[in-house]
Amino acid sequence: MQVFSDEAVNVPDSTDWLGTPLACLMPVEQAFRCHVCKDFYDSPMLTSCNHTFCSLCIRRCLSVDSKCPLCRATDQESKLRGNWALREAVEAFTKSRRAILDFARAPPPALQSPTEQSNSPTKRKATEMDGAKEEDQETKRPRRSTRSTKTRAAELTAAILQEEEDTTPSADPDYVDQPPDDGLVACPICLTRMKEQQVDRHIDTSCPGSPQAAASKRQAAVAQTPQPPSTFPSFNNRLGQSTQPQKPPERLPALAYSMLKDTALRKKLSELGLSTHGSRQLLEKRHKEWITLWNANCDSSRPKKRSELLRDLDEWERTVGNPGGGSRIGGIGMTIGGGAGQGPMARAQAAGAEIKDKEFDGKAWANRYGDSFGDLIKQARKGIKRQTLDGGANSGESAKEKKKETEAETEKEDTPADLLPRTRPDGDGESSVAPPTPMDIVPPSSPPRLDEQGGDTGMDDEQQVIPGTPEKGNSKWETSQQQKQQPPIAGDA
Amino acid sequence: MPVQFAAKRLGKELSKIQNGLPPGIELVSADNLEEWFLDIKVLDNNPLYLNETYRLKFRFSQSYPIEPPEVVFVKQADRPIPIHPHIYSNGIICLDLLGQQGWSPVQSVESVCMSLQSMLTGNTKNERPPGDEEFVRGNKQRPKDIEFYYHDNTV
Repeated sequence: MQVFSDEAVNVPDSTDWLGTPLACLMPVEQAFRCHVCKDFYDSPMLTSCNHTFCSLCIRRCLSVDSKCPLCRATDQESKLRGNWALREAVEAFTKSRRAILDFARAPPPALQSPTEQSNSPTKRKATEMDGAKEEDQETKRPRRSTRSTKTRAAELTAAILQEEEDTTPSADPDYVDQPPDDGLVACPICLTRMKEQQVDRHIDTSCPGSPQAAASKRQAAVAQTPQPPSTFPSFNNRLGQSTQPQKPPERLPALAYSMLKDTALRKKLSELGLSTHGSRQLLEKRHKEWITLWNANCDSSRPKKRSELLRDLDEWERTVGNPGGGSRIGGIGMTIGGGAGQGPMARAQAAGAEIKDKEFDGKAWANRYGDSFGDLIKQARKGIKRQTLDGGANSGESAKEKKKETEAETEKEDTPADLLPRTRPDGDGESSVAPPTPMDIVPPSSPPRLDEQGGDTGMDDEQQVIPGTPEKGNSKWETSQQQKQQPPIAGDA
Repeated sequence: MPVQFAAKRLGKELSKIQNGLPPGIELVSADNLEEWFLDIKVLDNNPLYLNETYRLKFRFSQSYPIEPPEVVFVKQADRPIPIHPHIYSNGIICLDLLGQQGWSPVQSVESVCMSLQSMLTGNTKNERPPGDEEFVRGNKQRPKDIEFYYHDNTV
C-alpha cells in the first residue's frame, strides 16, 4: 500500500457518496466518469455508436483495435465528435463536487444517519475541518429548514471558492495557474518570460517597468478580450483561453505506415520535431502515439502546450513505448528475421488480431496475400543461402501458382501448423490453415538490431517467448526445431 | 500522462475495491500496481466448487487497461485450482475475455472476478481441458503469449 503515492490511492471516487445522505449522487457521478480510465471525462468524445469516452482513452482504444470498448462496434478516430454539452456538465459537476460532498458529509445532527460513521477515516479527516465549521454553525441555527437559501448559497459559494483554490489534480488537471514549464523565468518586474541569463540585462535596458505593459502585450498576442489588463497576467491568460480560444491546433491525419519508406517516415517525424531514433517499429509507434496525444489535445478545452505534449511522449517512450519486446524477439530470431522484419510489425500485429478473430476468412486472406507470401518465401530462401538481402521481388508468376506454393511450403517445413491458428469455424479444409501474415516470412540477413530491442521483459525463463501472434510467427523459424509448443485448444471441440 | 494511465486507473479500481466488493470476492493483497491477489468463491450450491476458495493472480502491464491483465489461478495449500474444462491444472484460464480479442478496457478487476465466478457457477463438467497434462508439462509461455482458440460460446 505504502508504495502508492497519495494521488494514486486517495482518488475521488463515486463511492464517496455512499454513506452520506446524498448516496443517490453516486450514479450521477458514475455517469460523469469514463468507462476506460474511470476518471471524470476529459474532453469527452462521442463515437459513431453513441458512446462517450475521454478523447485520449478512445483514441488509444481505437488505435489498438478499432472497436468501441463498450459495444465492440467498429469505429474510426476520424468519426469521433466532441461531446461539448457533457464537457460542460462534467466541468460544472467537478467544480461543485467537493462542496456538495462536504455538505453531505456534515449534515445537521437531525439528519445524521448511523451509516455516516462508516466513512473511511482518511476521507473523513480530509473534510473534518469543514465539517466542524459546518456543525458549529448548525448549533447556532439548529433548524435547518429555517436557514435562508441565501446563507446556504453563500456557504456554497465560499466552499466553491475554496475548492477552486485546492483543486485536486484529477478533477482539473489542466488548470494551470503556475508559470508554464518552458525553461524560462519571469522578469521580477514586468513578468515577461525570458531566459535566466537574460534577466539582468533586460532589467537594466528594456524592462517596461510594470506588469500591465507585459500583460497587455500578451493579450494582444492572444486576441483581444474586452477585459482591461489586470495585474495577474496568468489570470488574464486563463480568461483569454476560455473566452477567446486561440486558433485551434489542427488535427494530424493518420499515416498509412505500410506505404512509407523508412526515410519518408523519419522525415515525417523530424517535420513534427520528434526523435527519428530507433527501429522502424519504434518510429511507427512513436508517430502513432504522438498523433494520439496531439489529436486528443486538440479536443481539449484547455489544450496543453506543445512542450507538455512532448514531455508526455517522452514519458510514454520510457515506459509503454519500449515494452520489453527486446529480449523476447532477440536471440536467434534476430539473425534471421532481424532488422528488415521490424517494419511491418505494427501492421502484422493488427493482422494477427484479425486472424484470431472468429469470423476470419482464411480463403480471402490467402487470395489477398498469396502473392506476397510467395515472394517473401522466395526471398527468404535466397537470403538464407546468400546471407545478403535480395531486395528484388519477383513478380513474373501467376498469383495462383504462388498461392499454392505458399500453402504447400507453409505446411511443409517453415511453418509448423501448430503455430498458426488451427481450426476455423467454417471448417473448410482449404482454409483450415491460415496463411501466415506477411510478418511470418521475413527477408533475412539484415544485421541484428539488438540495441533497439533491449529492455527487460520481466521474464525469468530463458525460453524464447514472443509476444502476440505475429512475432510468434516470426519465431517459428528458429523455435520450430527447438521445441513444438502445442497451443492449447480448450474445450470439447 | 501515459505513465499515469495504468497507475491512475488501478488506483481508482483499488479505492473502489476497498470500498467493497461483490459477495464472494475478496482482495488478498495489492502491494503494488503490478500484481494483485484476490480470492473468489462460488456462491451457489454447485457441488464442484462447494466450500472452496480459489486464489487469483492479476498481473498488469503498463498498457492496462488497453491491454488485458494476465489472470491465473494460483495453487496453495488451501487454495486449489478449480476444475473446469477451460482451466488448466496449472491455473491458466482459457477465456476470451482475457485475450486481446475479447478484452475491452471497460472491464475491470472486479468484472473479471465476477466473470470467472459465473464461469465456474455455470459449469457442470468435472473435467480439465483436453490435452491438459501435455500442456501443463510443456508450457513455459506466459498466458498472454499463448494462442488460445476460443470456440465454446456457451460459457
